[in-house]
Amino acid sequence: MIFEYLDPGSGSLLLQAVIGGATGLAVAVKAMRAKYGLGRGKAAPTPDEDDAAEDSAQPVES
Amino acid sequence: MSSPDPGSFRDPASRVVLDGDRVLRLLDDRGLADWRALAGSDFFASAVADGRLIAATELEDPPAGSAGALEHPRLSFISYPYEWTFSMLKDAALLQLDLLKDALTAGITIKDATPYNIQFVQGKPVFIDIGSFELYRAGEPWIGYRQFTRQFLFPLLLRAWIGVPFQPWLRGDIEGPTPAQMASLLGGRKRFNTGALFHVRLQARMEARMSDQAVREDLKSAGFTPELILANVKKLRSLVASLEWEHGENGWSEYGSCTHVGRDRDTKSEFLGSAIEHFQPKRVLDLGANDGHFSTIAARAGAETVAVDSDEAVLDDLYRRSSGLSLGIALSDLANPSPAQGWAGKERSALTDRARPDLVIAYGLIHHLIYAASVPPREVVTWLRSFDCPVVVEFVSPGDEMVAKLVGNKLSHELHADREEAPFRSLLGEMFETTHEMALTSGTRILFSLRPR
Repeated sequence: MIFEYLDPGSGSLLLQAVIGGATGLAVAVKAMRAKYGLGRGKAAPTPDEDDAAEDSAQPVES
Repeated sequence: MSSPDPGSFRDPASRVVLDGDRVLRLLDDRGLADWRALAGSDFFASAVADGRLIAATELEDPPAGSAGALEHPRLSFISYPYEWTFSMLKDAALLQLDLLKDALTAGITIKDATPYNIQFVQGKPVFIDIGSFELYRAGEPWIGYRQFTRQFLFPLLLRAWIGVPFQPWLRGDIEGPTPAQMASLLGGRKRFNTGALFHVRLQARMEARMSDQAVREDLKSAGFTPELILANVKKLRSLVASLEWEHGENGWSEYGSCTHVGRDRDTKSEFLGSAIEHFQPKRVLDLGANDGHFSTIAARAGAETVAVDSDEAVLDDLYRRSSGLSLGIALSDLANPSPAQGWAGKERSALTDRARPDLVIAYGLIHHLIYAASVPPREVVTWLRSFDCPVVVEFVSPGDEMVAKLVGNKLSHELHADREEAPFRSLLGEMFETTHEMALTSGTRILFSLRPR
């Protein structure tokens, strides 16, 4: 992991793509789709739900 | 004996330490790798050669505990953005954007975007934080974008679009206005300016929506490219370049044309010239510098000079005329000079601690402190003595035309009793030895050249 000492702000990072014109907007939309599954028939799980699904797949110790 | 610079601690990869008169930058493994990449690029050589980037030499034997170390030339005066004028912050913003553009072309990025990384040398902005450069990693957005808007763009918009000075804000909040704060302040037609829509309103909205969502990896996976950063930088540069502050002729900008000023200016210049010849100062601090006439004399005489005044318009004009001169500029109200502040109260040092003069000029100043700011004459003289160096001071008697304006509606008993010439001389005698004095033709002003007792 690379440590960053400055908080870049998630909204500000995404905005940079939006400002970059049509190509950038496509990158922003793709990034958001990957994150939230927007624009698909069925919403993709959020990272938290992913984690929960993985957790539930673990063998349960008795 | 070296000591860490109290303003350099946020970046673990690169820290500045002061070793006597030497300025060293200590690097960890990652900082050293980034430095070597920078040092090997054509970008670095050309940016240093054209004076946009401070010089740096790698030491053969870095101090223990560091992977590498650089040495930088020591700057004679450090100033902070809340002491800069509009044009200074604008030039610094353009430098930041231009360096980022050129660095990206060489496969290097600048990981932050704060004006504290820029200083003014010979009237030009110079980027001083070599540790801010790092290798560009594929898919990375511009990490410093938000910081650039808060510390460069929004302060400039405050002045250019809203008509409010940015310095009190930056002095009160070192991080600068947030997008949400700027969105609240922007009214009228400017709200619909494209730059305002994106950098202020949209950023505020996206910041509110995405506050706890990490997107860096998502952007990388989605194919973020450095061309997107360059497109943003290009638009920002165009927006910043379009910003102007029309200050016109107001307040002290017209001071040079006042009758008493024109009449006495030559005499005061000669008196200062004699003092400079007598005391041979290396560093001069001009308090209440106004249009910088006397600061310029000191700088031309070879002294590293700092001009302090509370009028942004006159200092902005002075900045634009200061190219090639060893003349630092600091916008500050001397009745309330910049304090030490930031982390542990040490990150940014007090203006008077940074100046370290060996001659102080206090022309046309003390009556403002005594009559307008109501500082007792004894306090004023004690303060001048605290610089512990010779002082050239102009005493202005209560009968002076300027004093009458400053007194305004104050009644005689509301003024300090020791403001007359005789008690003032007595105060000077307690703390200084007068080496030379001269009455001005107005009959209400006296120049004193003083050596501390």
